[in-house]
Amino acid sequence: MRRSAAEISLSLGVLALGAAVAAVTASLPSEGGYAGIGPNFMPGLVAGGIVLLGLWLGYEAFSGGWRGAPPEEAVARGEHAFHAASFVWITAGLFAQMALIGGGGFVIAATALFACVARGFGSRRMARDAAFGLVLSLAIYLFFVRLLNVNLPAGWLSPVLGGAGI
Amino acid sequence: MEALDALLSGFGVALKPVNLLWGFIGVTLGTFVGVLPGVGPALTVAMLLPLTVKLDPTGALIMFAGIYYGAMFGGSTTTILLNTPGESASIATALEGNRMAKAGRAGPALATSAIGSFVAGTIATVLLTLLAPLVVGIALRFGPAEYFSLMVFAFVTVSAVLGSSTVRGLTSLFLGLFLGLVGIDSQTGQPRFAFGIPELLDGVDVVVLAVGLFAVGEALYVAAYQSRLAATLEQMTGSIRMSAADWQRSWPAWLRATAIGFPFGTIPAGGSEIPTFLSYATEKKLSRHPEEFGTGAIEGVAGPEAANNAAATGVLVPLLTLGIPTSATAAILLGAFQNYGLQPGPLLFDAQRDLVWGLIASLYVGNAILLVLNLPLIGIWVKVLAIPKDLLYAGILVFATLGAYSLHQSWVDLLTLYVFGLLGFAMRRWDIPVGPAVIGLILGPLAETQFRRALSISQGDASVFLTQPISAGFLAVTAALVVAPWMVRRLRRHWR
Repeated sequence: MRRSAAEISLSLGVLALGAAVAAVTASLPSEGGYAGIGPNFMPGLVAGGIVLLGLWLGYEAFSGGWRGAPPEEAVARGEHAFHAASFVWITAGLFAQMALIGGGGFVIAATALFACVARGFGSRRMARDAAFGLVLSLAIYLFFVRLLNVNLPAGWLSPVLGGAGI
Repeated sequence: MEALDALLSGFGVALKPVNLLWGFIGVTLGTFVGVLPGVGPALTVAMLLPLTVKLDPTGALIMFAGIYYGAMFGGSTTTILLNTPGESASIATALEGNRMAKAGRAGPALATSAIGSFVAGTIATVLLTLLAPLVVGIALRFGPAEYFSLMVFAFVTVSAVLGSSTVRGLTSLFLGLFLGLVGIDSQTGQPRFAFGIPELLDGVDVVVLAVGLFAVGEALYVAAYQSRLAATLEQMTGSIRMSAADWQRSWPAWLRATAIGFPFGTIPAGGSEIPTFLSYATEKKLSRHPEEFGTGAIEGVAGPEAANNAAATGVLVPLLTLGIPTSATAAILLGAFQNYGLQPGPLLFDAQRDLVWGLIASLYVGNAILLVLNLPLIGIWVKVLAIPKDLLYAGILVFATLGAYSLHQSWVDLLTLYVFGLLGFAMRRWDIPVGPAVIGLILGPLAETQFRRALSISQGDASVFLTQPISAGFLAVTAALVVAPWMVRRLRRHWR
């Protein structure tokens, strides 16, 4: 019988989410005026639903696997095996952006993101990618700040960008 | 003809030069982003939403109508030339369209798809114009109980009835319903699931969820499982002109597909997937050249593409008249309305007459722009497809994070975006549909409001949902949809 560790963990994750929602719901007030139900009614309903779905998913995972789920082996899905480095590079890019956007500004942060994501997709030319990223994010910055009046932080480049938008 | 008057004044709004300009920009951007492989209509609309924050509502929504249609058309171009259907609605097109491209007939395939989209979109917009006032008339009689039951019906059809697995569809829906609870309760002002984080008190934004699931999740998935595979791009050779035989085989397919697509769009049946496949099957059955199916039959492109566009227009009927989104894209459009403090529904037709009819009129205009813009510019769209994957996804993520960041100018939204990205990755890998989550996020809070309003009116008596005939009818149909397939299976087993 097929039993997938991933499916079991995901089912448990859904179950745990349901339990967490229920726990938070317990601390919400219940007084509801004329309706007789308060702000905790819907959360309780949703928590119950998630718990039931977690149990259902778990039952399927233990009784032959999730019905109609894609095959476990990457080759059977027409794909290659999980490429961890790619996943990590994209994650790193997003976190670099989070860290940089407040101080360094939008253009610097987006350039870092761009270069990391391109690396994650197998590019080996980081300098070229950074240059592309810089041009793209500068264009976006100027378009949004000058034309659309949307605020984006100029950060370290504010001497160059004239501190526009801050 | 009250509707005709309203439509004419709507054209007055839509044809104002500035609104026409927004329509043009919307169609162009929508097509450009929609052409990008891996970017479907829902993501296109979500990514371009931040562009409109400083526009007036009418201009913004007209631009959105353009983006919506542009994204649909852009997606089919990608499907025909690249054979990577960005969304389920394009799978049927891919069957014949990509084979036509392989046989050197990409031009006629793109042409029949563009002209078919125009024909179907225009007929469907006429139907929308005629149908909307009727539905509004009915909807005005709906109270909170009827609305709530209708929303339950929509929840069940988009998550449990369609798709490969009922339990996974419902899991996605409930995830969306949970995320919809985050923030301040609209009835009592009670904060829920916000844990004192100011960014969460505003609630989960539909743009962050959609972009996280569709863009970040997709980027993580493609990088991890497909970035080392080679993709083949079909070259656009020869003319885009369709021969007389192509025309003769295309136009009946367009009309039949419109008749199939539009009704499917108006009912909550999960968007365009079913009508495109139904249209494909119909054309295959009726074709005088059934042997060509599988090697590139033009009816197999003309039909599904027209059905897709007719359904996309049909989806706007429940969205505009009832405020009920029945596809992920429609849910994001509803979010765009809400950003302006507008709640689509029968009352909007009264309170914002110019805006609603301006929007409907701009659908006609948008369809026309699409046709004049796309056929001559096909060569440019084809070049967009040649952007290498690494730069493409890097650019998509820069745009995706921009939308999330511009909400509060806070890195917390970027973290939320990444968390939704992980979720999107897992959902893609284990075949959990993402549409129900997006619909649940937007529709859940509205359903809760209607539920509590209905109970307030009835002084807490929950039987109102069953004693009001319309509400009871919706719930009965919902129950039948859930129980019927299970009953059929049981009975079949019994008879064996």
